[in-house]
Amino acid sequence: MSTGSAAAPLLEVRDLTTQFLTRAGVVKAVDGVSFCLRRGEVMGLVGESGSGKSVTGFSIIGLIDPPGRVAGGSVKLEGHELVGLSPDELRKLRGRVVSMVFQDPLMTLNPVLTIGEQIRLAIEAHQPVSAAEARQRAIAGLAQVRIPRPEATVDFYPHQLSGGMRQRVAIAIALLHRPRLIICDEPTTALDVSIQAEILAEMKELVAELGTALIWISHDLATVASIAQHVAVMRLGKIVEAGPTLDVLTRPQHAYTRALLDALPSRAKPGELLLRGGGVPDAAPPARKPAAIAAAPVPGAPYFIAERVSKRFETRPSALRGLGQKLGFVQPLPAVMAVDEVSLTVPRGEALGLVGESGSGKSTLGRMAAGIYAPSSGTVRFEGWPVMSEGQGPKKLTTRIQTIFQDPFASLNPRMRIGAGIAEGPLAHGLVSKADSAVYVRDWLAAVGLDPAFADRYPHQFSGGQRQRVAIARALAMQPDLVVCDEPVASLDVSIQAQIINLLMRLRAELGLTLIFISHDLSVVRHLCDRVAVMYRGRIVEEGPAGQVYDNPQHDYTKRLLAAVPVLPEAAA
Amino acid sequence: MLTHVIERILQALVVMLVMSALVFVGVYAIGNPIDVLIGPDVSQDIRLDTIARYGLDKPLWEQYFTFLGRVLHGDFGRSFVFGMPVLELILSRLPATLELTLAAVFGAALIGIPAGIYAGYRPDSPLSKLIMALSILGFSVPTFWIGLVLIMTFAVELQWLPAGGRGETAALFGVQWSFLTLNGLSHLFLPALNLAFFKLALMTRLARAGTREVMLTDTVKFARAAGISEGVILRRHVLRLISIPLVTVFGLEFASTLAFAVVTETIFSWPGIGKLIIDSIQSLDRPVMVAYLMLVAFVFIMINFLVDLTYFALDPRLRKGRA
Amino acid sequence: MRTESPIARFWSEFRESRIAVAALIVVVMMIGVALLAPLIAPQNPYDLANLVLSDARRPPGYVGSSGYTHWLGTDAQGRDLLSAILYGLRISLQMGLVAGTFAFAIGVTLGIAAAYLGGRREAFIMRVIDLQLAFPAILLALVISALLGQGKAQLIAALVAAQYAYFARTAHGAASAERGKDYVEAALSTPLPARQVIWRHILPNCLPPLIVVATVQVANAIALEATLSFLGVGLPVTEPSLGSLIANGFQYMLSGRYWISIYPGLALILLIVAINLVGDQIRDQVNPRLKR
Repeated sequence: MSTGSAAAPLLEVRDLTTQFLTRAGVVKAVDGVSFCLRRGEVMGLVGESGSGKSVTGFSIIGLIDPPGRVAGGSVKLEGHELVGLSPDELRKLRGRVVSMVFQDPLMTLNPVLTIGEQIRLAIEAHQPVSAAEARQRAIAGLAQVRIPRPEATVDFYPHQLSGGMRQRVAIAIALLHRPRLIICDEPTTALDVSIQAEILAEMKELVAELGTALIWISHDLATVASIAQHVAVMRLGKIVEAGPTLDVLTRPQHAYTRALLDALPSRAKPGELLLRGGGVPDAAPPARKPAAIAAAPVPGAPYFIAERVSKRFETRPSALRGLGQKLGFVQPLPAVMAVDEVSLTVPRGEALGLVGESGSGKSTLGRMAAGIYAPSSGTVRFEGWPVMSEGQGPKKLTTRIQTIFQDPFASLNPRMRIGAGIAEGPLAHGLVSKADSAVYVRDWLAAVGLDPAFADRYPHQFSGGQRQRVAIARALAMQPDLVVCDEPVASLDVSIQAQIINLLMRLRAELGLTLIFISHDLSVVRHLCDRVAVMYRGRIVEEGPAGQVYDNPQHDYTKRLLAAVPVLPEAAA
Repeated sequence: MLTHVIERILQALVVMLVMSALVFVGVYAIGNPIDVLIGPDVSQDIRLDTIARYGLDKPLWEQYFTFLGRVLHGDFGRSFVFGMPVLELILSRLPATLELTLAAVFGAALIGIPAGIYAGYRPDSPLSKLIMALSILGFSVPTFWIGLVLIMTFAVELQWLPAGGRGETAALFGVQWSFLTLNGLSHLFLPALNLAFFKLALMTRLARAGTREVMLTDTVKFARAAGISEGVILRRHVLRLISIPLVTVFGLEFASTLAFAVVTETIFSWPGIGKLIIDSIQSLDRPVMVAYLMLVAFVFIMINFLVDLTYFALDPRLRKGRA
Repeated sequence: MRTESPIARFWSEFRESRIAVAALIVVVMMIGVALLAPLIAPQNPYDLANLVLSDARRPPGYVGSSGYTHWLGTDAQGRDLLSAILYGLRISLQMGLVAGTFAFAIGVTLGIAAAYLGGRREAFIMRVIDLQLAFPAILLALVISALLGQGKAQLIAALVAAQYAYFARTAHGAASAERGKDYVEAALSTPLPARQVIWRHILPNCLPPLIVVATVQVANAIALEATLSFLGVGLPVTEPSLGSLIANGFQYMLSGRYWISIYPGLALILLIVAINLVGDQIRDQVNPRLKR
């Protein structure tokens, strides 16, 4: 391929259209997208799920699987047309001239081949190479992406590496042949915020060093802002706004871009309704029954307390190993301490945020607070009464603590009408009579902003945001006093996330709920919570009023965590 | 790893012990072997003498422990019908079954796996649909009926191949094998084909299902994005990934083919251990039944063990933890 | 948007495969024919008065002494083969379905109980089941049949013993997976009574893989019954299933009287292939890894 003149764009996309043939008919996932990219330039492609941003990336490198196809338009790379090339011609370009990095490194690397073998296959795809030479180049490639001890890592299998290291391996493979263009599809979405910060910084250096152009596809405006000079905002297969990053983010022209920015909790005052109050229903939740079944609080006891709770996940030793352990021949397997002697109190009416990265134990602690897991040691008490019974097969004793889960696709029984799902708990505990249950369900659906007529539908008929509303209705219909929210907005698009946050804030105020709000997203926690506890490796390392922890962190880990969060450029007044 | 091996061996011993008790009690509840051993017209004295000689007057548990003690010395008793040591009898029949089973299983794997990978790679092509239609047929049609049709077509109508027996054999390592002579091969072909049918269908379907799933993963998409050709993707990525379930099934099927040889050997009069067990069930030849069932259990345990070891070789995730 | 139950959605997807629909129709028709056998069969093959020895082993199209045409010929006892097949189908289906139902009930109960109870009890149940699965089904059925003797009830017992473990393992696998999902945790943390969690949440969501196993196992039970009858340890000659019909005709095959074995065999294959085709479509539909 010729190099072309320096002034000509590296990549020129005109009217690109990609269609998918579905049961419902032809869907245009990409609908007339046009943009240009110069050598060494970094462009961000931003949009919510279903906007067509990933499909655009795959269309450029010719990796659209049937039933999808590029239906029209042109993609010119260094002046050469890519649309209409034969599969083999396209294959010869991929990895050499243009390459791609995917979202989840756990899924992209082959689990049964060593890193070295996978790199070798990628080299051999474009040039014959001896085993020794392939190994040398693999080691050099790993060193380039800052992988420590590349000589050892080259013989590792993917499962022996952490998520961040795996993603670095994927980037090393993408860089092997010094391509002119790399397309990164949500490359840091599956990673923790501190790892994301490292990868972002390294990626910036690498593209500058190698002069590679980069298309950075992401749902997150802040990460895009920290790496890309240009940004294009996509919605429903079209680019609605494009331009220099700073201009687009500080002076958005299109209503959709403005709405995306308005939906971000980091740009609003804590406690303020987002999107100017979007997604909040008018209907009030049904009146509570007087707490007839609740036992009287133990006098003087804190409202909610977890006392020195620990959760160990033990790998059960096999019979022989168990015998060996008893006789002292074999060391017992180390147990995983998910939560390590944590104490926590929550006064009535407070919203406590529990933040931390993956593996910090925040979800496990939340599940112990909610009475899903029994602690290995320590107790959880609500108004002085234990939340769970002790002994074999512990059972939850109270209905006054309820849970909202992260993934609304997993937390609703797919084979149960949502109305029945909302009603079954209250029916089982006598909170509502059989005769009144239909009205009760309809009232709750209205209170979470859904059409009451939806009660007969099944979960698969709802979008993610709607399902999360159903899940909220189900939890609140049990008339709890304390609600444990385990990452309730983590799997939602920003605009839907903003609506759910609004809904939670309003219901909390209206029902006087106490919240334990678990999240990896620091800005969401700051927006919703009065107090914050930071978890790291099974312990709470810092705890205090939200404003104090965010503005004046004491613990090193908290400082690092806050520094790693990418920030948006300030909006011009 | 070492503890794992020791544990599996201990486990196998326990399983064999339990199996032997179950088999012994089960088999000894069937019918009255005295009627097999002696004619109805012999005198009461001889009758009692025979019962005593075979230890059949002792309580069952005592018979079992006598049996167990002998088994530990490699003595499974004498066949009521053939009058020879059971172990010798079974070992003399084993090569026939072994060669039949090996031919069937390897034939099935060599044809079925490539066919399945192709069908999984191009699920919509006409050839794939044909492969799948044939595999459904092979999966559904009972082995014994295919055997009948094969005999009728190739032996009776076309008269290309013989309908039964092992044909000429030649010696290798002091054992007689059919596959070493042309005539023996012609005798081996139909029964092996018959026995392979079901395995072939199974391997094809398994390879197809695995390939289809793997082809949709990001691993393959990422390999494509790196410009790796489809052939290399299939050979290096897909084959490695689907090999784990395939090895499991290959192992288990090898063992169950050994058992299914019962049907094929009956139809083709193949003088292997399958034919032997059917005959001994019908003639209530207890020692043979017990020894055969224990042999099958032993083979099964050994194969499961080997499959386990192969797992360690194939799946690095089982070998060691995070570095 | 209308309310669309999972079953309705399942059916609309199922309908897209023409082959699967055709196979389902064949299965339903064969069940219908088997049920109505006494009404539509030209002859009652069990009625010895109908049998004329001079009519035995006649080729298809032979006009019998009683004056009507044996379209599929007659067997060794002079029975009309078409009638014998219809009655044989009835017995084969009966064996397959009854054995399948018992195996399903026993296996699913054990599997789900193990997954729900957990701990030592789970380990024990699953160890026993794995042990049994490690032993070929046909040998197990063979030995049990030999042990219990001939007869319908004995045969069903042998088939159930050979098959329940497959249901148990599938149910255990599915229930363990569902047990860890958020919606079950949500139900447990409501809290709902254990019985309600099992019946309304876990069991309904374990059904898809179990239905797949059930179709395969009913087909297998029918094939296994035929094989056992062929080997002479299944049903007595007085109640011939399709398998015993084939076995009875085997000895005449070498002399060119193919029809006695071949026609019952074709009926058997048609039934098993149709059931497996239906099962195949369901398997593809419920496999989450094939969904994009």
